Amino acid sequence: MIEQRHLKGREPITGESISVIKIRDVLLVAMPPDPDDTTITILQEKVLAAIERYQVKGLVLDISAVQTLDSFFARVVAETAQMVVLMGAQTVIAGMQPSVAITATQLGLTLGGALTALNVDLALEIVSDAFQRRQRS
Amino acid sequence: MIDGIREEVAIIDESDIILVRKTVREAATKFNYSLTDVTRIVTAASELARNIFLYAGSGVMRWRLLEGNGAKGMELIFEDRGPGITDLEQAFQEGYSTSGGLGLGLPGTQRLMDEMEIDTRVGVGTTVVVRKWQRRY
Ligand SMILES: Nc1ncnc2c1ncn2[C@@H]1O[C@H](COP(=O)(O)OP(=O)(O)OP(=O)(O)O)[C@@H](O)[C@H]1O
Ligand SMILES: [Mg+2]
Repeated sequence: MIEQRHLKGREPITGESISVIKIRDVLLVAMPPDPDDTTITILQEKVLAAIERYQVKGLVLDISAVQTLDSFFARVVAETAQMVVLMGAQTVIAGMQPSVAITATQLGLTLGGALTALNVDLALEIVSDAFQRRQRS
Repeated sequence: MIDGIREEVAIIDESDIILVRKTVREAATKFNYSLTDVTRIVTAASELARNIFLYAGSGVMRWRLLEGNGAKGMELIFEDRGPGITDLEQAFQEGYSTSGGLGLGLPGTQRLMDEMEIDTRVGVGTTVVVRKWQRRY
């Protein structure tokens, strides 16, 4: 079962939207290339609500399209990851572009130690691995 | 007045931060900076534009090209008539923030750019100038 919804942020210039897709028990959220602050804040609220509603075990945040990761975006991502953990699920941030990774490191961003993966496929594997480990222990 | 200003973006709304990023990305891409340098410049611009929006309410971003001594580069000027910064040294300390932010904007921008100058007067405003020189490969 795949559910898809589009949230439109207040985005007068590019009109970008965030897609939130549920794949089995993981929520897959794809960030647009250049989200504004309002879009990012809306994302946080919608993601947390969706995690509660669908009782997913993980959140995969696909940032492969993201061109600019600044301190505001990074703070919301790290905060969201922490909140997701508090709710009992796992966050994996997937697909950071090399140029973005270099810049983020130089800027001093750490993403609060959230799990990361090269791409969405690997992120989905991490979520299911982490879940299985937790089931066993 | 500064000579050679190519473009000017008024920062009034939060969405103008996106406009600053878009303007700077287009310009830096056009002038053949590497993708990583484009990302560095745009990220720095995003930090400085957001600082204006958050702390001064409004201001302006201008950019121009630099040429001289066989070197080429790009200069971005961020000007506001906000409250100014009382303690610059403190403002450049990593983790220092008066808005619950990460406190990475100013120190991070300094690392991302080649040169950074800041002129601030309490009650008058703040002007931040950043430059990135073109590497010859
Ligand atoms: N244009 C400005 N006018 C007045 N004060 C400023 C301005 N820019 C920065 N400041 C002050 O300097 C502090 C440090 O700025 P900096 O950008 O490094 O961190 P931040 O904005 O608090 O957090 P972050 O940028 O990591 O989200 C700010 O909290 C603010 O008090
Ligand atoms: Mg800042």
